[in-house]
Amino acid sequence: MENKREILSVKDLNKSYDAFNLKNVSLTLQAGSIMGFIGRNGAGKSTTLKSMVNLVHSDSGSVQFFGMDIKTHESEIKQRISFAFGGVDYYLQKKLGTITSVYKRFYDQWDEKAYEDYLKRFELNPNKKVKELSQGMRVKYGLALALSHHAEILILDEPTSGLDPVSRDEILNIFADVVDSKQASILFSTHITSDLDKCADEITYIKNGEILVSEEKDAFVDSYRLVEGSMDQFTEAIKSIIIGCHERRGEFSGLIRSKNCEIAKGIKCSPADLESIMVHIERRA
Amino acid sequence: MKDLLYKEFKLAMHPTCFIFLLMAFMLLIPNYPYYVAFFYQTLGIFFIFVGGQANNDVYFTTLLPVPKRDTVKARFGVIVIMELAQIVVSIPFAILRNSLNPLENQAGMEANIALFGLVFMMYAIFNMVFLPIFYKTAFNIGLPYVIACGAMAIFVGAAEASIQLIPALKTTLDTLNPNYLPQQLAVLLFGILVFSFMTTLAYLKSAALFEKIDL
Repeated sequence: MENKREILSVKDLNKSYDAFNLKNVSLTLQAGSIMGFIGRNGAGKSTTLKSMVNLVHSDSGSVQFFGMDIKTHESEIKQRISFAFGGVDYYLQKKLGTITSVYKRFYDQWDEKAYEDYLKRFELNPNKKVKELSQGMRVKYGLALALSHHAEILILDEPTSGLDPVSRDEILNIFADVVDSKQASILFSTHITSDLDKCADEITYIKNGEILVSEEKDAFVDSYRLVEGSMDQFTEAIKSIIIGCHERRGEFSGLIRSKNCEIAKGIKCSPADLESIMVHIERRA
Repeated sequence: MKDLLYKEFKLAMHPTCFIFLLMAFMLLIPNYPYYVAFFYQTLGIFFIFVGGQANNDVYFTTLLPVPKRDTVKARFGVIVIMELAQIVVSIPFAILRNSLNPLENQAGMEANIALFGLVFMMYAIFNMVFLPIFYKTAFNIGLPYVIACGAMAIFVGAAEASIQLIPALKTTLDTLNPNYLPQQLAVLLFGILVFSFMTTLAYLKSAALFEKIDL
């Protein structure tokens, strides 16, 4: 986190569909960090990520990588970033070696030595077909391709969805290694909050197409507290500050902003985690 | 562009395209509507798109560091190469057919130079109809292909009917008589011009449509 250079900046992105709108989506990614992009299914995570790389055309707003606009410097930017939907899910019948032989021709900075090293490290056999790889191995192959052309930003849409806990942990450790060794910064979407507990430096939370918050993870988690108590403690003052309140058998529980702790004096307050924050915020709707 | 063409042949190419080149042997059939031998290649091209859809080709390709319109250009490149290959491979079979069996083809046009001109026009119609409709969505393949086949069938039907029913055309175009070579060469030249013009137009339209869609 020592290097606070801004390498990706999304400003006021808007996109309207018949039944869904992205509204003024803004976020920035600093060099040397991992940003987790969370939100429930359908919140707009994929649309936002796709808009960043021009797969989806935003109605307004701007996306800049390394100070260059994606709309005018698309090819130049794509040389320096990598975007993937989960793991490699194209050309399933082809061998990894065949796909790589095509892929590498497009990248000026392709590093064959690094690629060989990643194959070894991730135990990928170039003679295997993509369809023969597990989901976790497909994510690793995608990472091997991205890191071998020295992508400086990895944008990954749900890379951990559908993985077993061990594979997920492995992928998250690779993310941490990649960022710690200053090879790349990572922006990845997920709805699994424990992924972010493990490795995210920053969090961007999207709900119904709007960014609720985009800040450092620890500050974000620290800005909420879980509260619980009996219904006779459930005063009007508490009612006005509680988020995602749940009542059952004469007890209530919910989430409050840490700054409102004073109002909830005398009520049991405990630190919140990402999962409970997300659940309560979504429940408020 | 070289790299994208490499990608098209290494990853996207469907093997049936090469197999259908062999359909050129159908020109040896004594009585046959010879357009059919050329039609098969459009089916091979259709399979490239079917394979592309099954393999998420559009995402693989558009995420590469190349302009979107270049990916369309490369796909057009492959299509034109295969169509021209089909025509080139057919030439020796046409020569062979006419030297082995000089009897008239009872089922339509002779395998002569004018036929090749008409085939160029048929491919031009295929490219003009199938590709821009496909690139409107970069997803729907079936309907654009059916519409393109319909358009080709109407063209072939109209061309064949005119040649069989109009004596001046019948005499000059549906014959192996070398006296009518200039007329037949004119049809070939016209076919090549139509093919070049319509395919270029189809590319410009397809690229513009593809750049607009959300993937």
